[in-house]
Amino acid sequence: MKKIMGILLLLVSTAVAADLSGKWSGTFRATGADHDIPQLFILKQDGSKLSGSGGPNEGEQYPIESPRIDDDKVAFEITTGEWKFSYHLKVSGPHLTGDLELTSADTRRTAKVALNKVN
Amino acid sequence: MRSVFALPALVCATTVMFESPIRVRRFIFNVHLILAACAGAFVVTLAGTGSIIEFEPELDRAFHARLAYVRAGQDPLSLVEIGNAVSRRFGGEPVVAYFLAAKPDLSWQVALPSGIAYVNQYTGEVLGERRRGETFLGLVRELHLRLGGGELGGGILKWSTVAMLFSLVSGLYLWWPNKQIRIRLMRSKRLRWSDLHHTVGIVSLLPLGLLATSGVILGFEGQLAPVVYRLTDSRPAVVSRFSASVHQTEAATITPDQAVAIARRLVPNAVAYRVQMPKYGGVYQVALSDANDGVAGDRNIVALDPYGNVVSVVKSSTVSRGDRVFMVNEAIHTGNILGVPTRIGALLGTIAALVQVSSGLAMWMYRRKIVGTSAVPLEATQ
Repeated sequence: MKKIMGILLLLVSTAVAADLSGKWSGTFRATGADHDIPQLFILKQDGSKLSGSGGPNEGEQYPIESPRIDDDKVAFEITTGEWKFSYHLKVSGPHLTGDLELTSADTRRTAKVALNKVN
Repeated sequence: MRSVFALPALVCATTVMFESPIRVRRFIFNVHLILAACAGAFVVTLAGTGSIIEFEPELDRAFHARLAYVRAGQDPLSLVEIGNAVSRRFGGEPVVAYFLAAKPDLSWQVALPSGIAYVNQYTGEVLGERRRGETFLGLVRELHLRLGGGELGGGILKWSTVAMLFSLVSGLYLWWPNKQIRIRLMRSKRLRWSDLHHTVGIVSLLPLGLLATSGVILGFEGQLAPVVYRLTDSRPAVVSRFSASVHQTEAATITPDQAVAIARRLVPNAVAYRVQMPKYGGVYQVALSDANDGVAGDRNIVALDPYGNVVSVVKSSTVSRGDRVFMVNEAIHTGNILGVPTRIGALLGTIAALVQVSSGLAMWMYRRKIVGTSAVPLEATQ
């Protein structure tokens, strides 16, 4: 019985993990800004390991760094030069929503992110 | 936008309606007073923070002098050598981008995932690293743009610049009959403040007017953009998407130094000031500055795939007229339009704004006392 439960738990966690693999499209809007910035992530999940890239479009992609998965919560970072983007997202089916912290050498801003799974 | 034009329309209508010049003057005076009362504190915030932002690069270097300055040498090391020196120092971290200083006595910067490293480009010595995060100057800029954050703060500041502009116009109207330019030190406090307000107001009208007008245009850029592009028969710049390159062997990839050399051949007379590595963004992005192209001079960007194939070239000479209007406006607002003289002019403008709000407040305080004690009519206090 314990073995079956263990296998079931493993299968469930794998199923949740598999949800992140694929393309995620959406936008973020920095606090006080008057327009949305497009976002596209291409993620690959292997168990608890997450890799991939993200950026404004498919042609301009930056590697994700320091990825962390904790249940339905996902966190990772992207560096684009002056700016570092720190994402703290929550998975809900085909949706990834949460907060983004943008930091440069002298400024810190926050934003709300909403992504939808494309495929 | 409609409310931007509502106030002058109201002033004109009231002028016709009142007929009496004294009533019109009284009405304009009250508008001037109300605008100052509503926006004074925010204008002080804009002017105070603006005066600091005016010299932000110099202040930032002064705060980090140990990192920012180097002894000027002959030839800098290659970007590969600089990148290797930085990566060795920071545990093999990859280079995200290089920032090449415009002056020979300023250090070069290397962006890493963990922060920004400062390097002596002549010796390869790593001078130190700045972690990303908010600093005093960043906070000042945030206060100037959004009162510290938020859409509400940005909106309040936008409308405060509009109020400032109308205060200047109404102030000119009130000043015009007497055309006073003198400060009588031996007179009463009220008259001294009044003299200061009138004199500084008229002497600084041009820089204050330019700061306020350019500030309004910056604040309402989104709403004004369609009009500007229509008037200039142009379109906003479209950022070209980078096409993915066909993967070739590792040996065929070019170095950042080769990327800069290719970019300089494509944009002659320009100097590279930023190099983004292909791991971060998919392509090399080399940004170049052309001193001969005025405010748009740093809008040259050459994108190359990791193998040296040109993906896109954006030249400052092709910047649209509409975009150039906004660039000139921003350069006027920051004082960068003609270099140091206009930056000093903009600084004096921000100081004048502080003086005008303070002296206006002092005039109002002393006027209140006079009205309260002897019931002197408003016109007599002008």
